[in-house]
Amino acid sequence: MDATAADAPNYIALLEVPEEKMVVLPGASDDLTSVTFCIKEEDHTLGNSLRWAIMQNAQVDFCGYSIPHPSEAKMNVRIQTTEQTNAVDAMDKGIDDLKSVCQLLKARFQQRIRQGDYARAA
Amino acid sequence: MALADRNRVVVLEDRVENVSGADFPMSIDGQDVAFNLESFKDSFDIKIVHVTATEIEFDLVGVDASIANALRRILIAEIPTMAIEKVYMINNTGVVQDEVLAHRLGLLPIDADPNEFQWKRADSVPTDQNTIVFKLDVACEVDRSAAAGETDPKKKYINSAVYSSHLVWDPKGDQEQRFATKPIRPVHDDILITKLRPGQAVTCELHCDKGVGKDHSKFSPVATASYRLLPEIQILEDITGDDAELFRSCFPPGVVEVVEEQGVRKARVVNPRKDTVSREVLRHKQFEGKVRLTRVRDHFIFSVESTGIIAPEELVSKALDVLMEKCDIAKAALARAVKSSEEDE
Amino acid sequence: MDPPQLQPYQSQPPLTKPQVTTYRCMRCRTPNEIKPREPIRCLDCGYRILMKERTKRMVQFEAR
Repeated sequence: MDATAADAPNYIALLEVPEEKMVVLPGASDDLTSVTFCIKEEDHTLGNSLRWAIMQNAQVDFCGYSIPHPSEAKMNVRIQTTEQTNAVDAMDKGIDDLKSVCQLLKARFQQRIRQGDYARAA
Repeated sequence: MALADRNRVVVLEDRVENVSGADFPMSIDGQDVAFNLESFKDSFDIKIVHVTATEIEFDLVGVDASIANALRRILIAEIPTMAIEKVYMINNTGVVQDEVLAHRLGLLPIDADPNEFQWKRADSVPTDQNTIVFKLDVACEVDRSAAAGETDPKKKYINSAVYSSHLVWDPKGDQEQRFATKPIRPVHDDILITKLRPGQAVTCELHCDKGVGKDHSKFSPVATASYRLLPEIQILEDITGDDAELFRSCFPPGVVEVVEEQGVRKARVVNPRKDTVSREVLRHKQFEGKVRLTRVRDHFIFSVESTGIIAPEELVSKALDVLMEKCDIAKAALARAVKSSEEDE
Repeated sequence: MDPPQLQPYQSQPPLTKPQVTTYRCMRCRTPNEIKPREPIRCLDCGYRILMKERTKRMVQFEAR
């Protein structure tokens, strides 16, 4: 997988990433404006933050997530969009936005740590 | 609702109001306040309050609860560390049973950089790249040099207690060179593992693997990782005289101060951060309508306490890395899912 | 109990040596080698409570 090159720190055990990590559940509309995705091996950590990121898109009418059963490592994300876009693009944009938010948070956090204007004890 | 109140959770005597936010486009008077990174960059902030060797406290302001919660969840459950996973018991004649002893050993924090190690599959063999080996070999005996009437087991016997400092790292392959500057050892030397009496002994070999807290909490790099919302005390009408003193006593020390203004004693909020939001103030009739307790919905006071394996400031960066990696994996998976559903048609 | 007597009609001696297990006296801590059907008693001090030694075999545990 190119997303995590050998030299980059991979925090997630890639051996645990299932073959079909994400599938489009049956029942999606033909124009893909309303789709339910099923993501395996994910929980509220990605679910709720991704839901938030997708909801920030003005073209998204509805976005919600659920974990249908606690003993199955599955998470469903439902997206309904306007005709201007489709759920796949909304999902893609949501993922990108969430990642950008993380990058900004990380940069700001490290900048603040470097500034050192805080109490520091041994 | 007033604009300033929109991101306030209102704490009332018997309930909490305005709990969930609605910070997404079209939800506020149909306004299209779409998310964009440029404005987000200016609207959020991180303030670091204090950092010690094992703890960090910082304020995360202007982000959604889902992001703060994802961060907290990752800190607890998804940052990998090394921990003892297999115990090969060669001898254990102490009173602590083998499986209990093995469990106790598993919980010891091991000071090893998890980035230096690979994940170990269930079917793969241990190598110097995915396993750390420790040896534990302790036998208890009578201390001949102890005074005749000695009753303290620590003085009467040698090795009456087995501590984490008894663990001996057994470097395999090139581990000795790789970790020459920072030899692998338990984080703390004074963790009591078991107690022994003369004639009893423990001999075992311990194998550490890389893992995450969601598999077993022994892998969790934090003792606690939590956040709370910044409390806010709004004084709507001046509280004076003896009531001011009573008002101050309703909060933990340092939250409210009584100041004298033109000969009148008046209650003033100085540090709402210290408040525990006990709601004591709401029980008194004389403060009815004069005070409002709220919490700032997008102001998270984070507290992260490391087990000592990873520095607390590094933990937060790593947690964000994990969330980014989740995004990368999800993005690649989405592309594959779309491709395979197109092929089906 | 008397030690087992070799019966006259037994044509061959037993193929395996009688099993010897080491027990430790719970009073004087001396190891006792006891064969089947032997009285359970410390040869040193006569105490009747003996305990089996722990296996020398390595046992694997999950640290969970």
